[in-house]
Amino acid sequence: MTRKPLRDPRNLSSNKAEEAREQLAPQHAAQETGRNMKPSVIVIGADKGGVGKTTIARAVLDYLANNNVITRAFDTEHPRGTLHRFHPEETEIVDLTSTADQMKIIDTLETAQIKVSVIDVRAGGLSIALQALHDMGFLEAVKEGEFNFVVFHVLGSSISSLEEIEEIAPYVEDAQYFLVKNHVNDTTFFEWDPVTHRKYFEKVQTAGELTIPKLNEIAYEQVEIAGTPFSTFVADKTAEGDHAGHSFVLRGYVRTWQNKIAEEFDRVGLLGLVAPLAPRAPAVAPGRSGKAGRER
Amino acid sequence: MAGRSGDVFIVCSCSARAGVSTTARLLTDYRLFSRSPVVGFDTDPHEPRYGAFFPDLVTTVDVGDIKGQIALFDSLLARDGTTKIVDVWHRGFQRFFATVQEIGFVEEGRRNGIEPILLFHADASEAALASAQSLNATWPELPMVVVHNEGARPLGPKASDILRRYPAKHKFVVSALPGAVVNILDDPSLSLWRFLQAPPTNISIVVRAALKSWIVPIFTQFKSFELRRDLESSDYLR
Repeated sequence: MTRKPLRDPRNLSSNKAEEAREQLAPQHAAQETGRNMKPSVIVIGADKGGVGKTTIARAVLDYLANNNVITRAFDTEHPRGTLHRFHPEETEIVDLTSTADQMKIIDTLETAQIKVSVIDVRAGGLSIALQALHDMGFLEAVKEGEFNFVVFHVLGSSISSLEEIEEIAPYVEDAQYFLVKNHVNDTTFFEWDPVTHRKYFEKVQTAGELTIPKLNEIAYEQVEIAGTPFSTFVADKTAEGDHAGHSFVLRGYVRTWQNKIAEEFDRVGLLGLVAPLAPRAPAVAPGRSGKAGRER
Repeated sequence: MAGRSGDVFIVCSCSARAGVSTTARLLTDYRLFSRSPVVGFDTDPHEPRYGAFFPDLVTTVDVGDIKGQIALFDSLLARDGTTKIVDVWHRGFQRFFATVQEIGFVEEGRRNGIEPILLFHADASEAALASAQSLNATWPELPMVVVHNEGARPLGPKASDILRRYPAKHKFVVSALPGAVVNILDDPSLSLWRFLQAPPTNISIVVRAALKSWIVPIFTQFKSFELRRDLESSDYLR
């Protein structure tokens, strides 16, 4: 594909400018941050299907929005797009094997106002996506420090899923590579078998492991039916911003689950990796969405 | 409290046979006697003793099941001017409060102008005291009333000392009924509020007198607490 010349990373502002920035209102700070941030790409994927990639992508989008980080998202589940169903405003459905769509993502990284791009890779497409990113020179640009690159590799409970770790390793040497253990569907990851666990989890140098806790099945299903971001569900809103009348109990479970995930993202310093200057938001309070901008 | 419409009473104990269902029943009867709307929830799905006294007003829920949780907590948050009384089964005590914490019920209640009131039943065990202290540590703003049911859980001569250790600002005492009278309370067809309005003539005069002298002081305590709460929340009379 054709890639525009990549510029040197911009210098972050001086201490004085940073002090001034801290005094800005959150939305202004977010915009200001966007102008100074190095573009970041977060890839969420797995080679195995049904491990909850899109759930993780939705959680990432919610988390970043709650922390006033404006994002754009690409859903590679072409042409349907599950992520697009929940986050239609910021998500575009793309075909990652198409040169035109590759250009749409990569060539706009530096020119786009929004500096954080989240790519939800369709089932079975992680290796293909990383190979494509390698072929187009993106991984080289990451090595040169032009972009932040974060990979969330969502694991399933099968041996074949764990074997993906070794396959992915060559592509993520310069990435912030996280193994994600998604417990949403009660999966275990061979923790009960230390030999097997060690065999796979010690094969690659990672930036850390993320544990996504289990969400009550009925609560999860209700969010599915609502077809809104988790934060919108917690705020008891419809996609149109009207009062939804969701069960308080289910909203409570989703809110607690979101807060636990936010603690995980905080623990691994996700915000510092993709938006070091963004103002932080507190945990979502009961009955509130920390993402005012998303309430349409 | 008992006269303030829309309040939520959580009647609980971590111990068996502490008189929780009796208190829930008395409070419900007090509200009916005051001609105020009231509904109840019995969280013992196996043997809903409280529910048996008010089959039309009390819903039996299983807080171990999410459908039961929705039926309970979503109803408690409805701002419909109805007092809600929850009889927390001692076996479901931990699960109940774990759910309260996980879903943020107390905080959401406050946002909706609903402040749950804990009616914690005391006994002489350290476990009961520790449970009360734990609840108070988790929700220090939550009003707690310590209930001493002298019939179910007599505390003996050290009652005052034991009750003083509980982190509660208020106290209810449910006195013991004479042995010859207590059995009549088990009759689900006996409505305490109707009894006060018009004592049935098929009950002996002695039993009627004993029952009335047992109920009236309890209702007086409810009324007193209700007035105190009204004064505390008044903008003018502090």
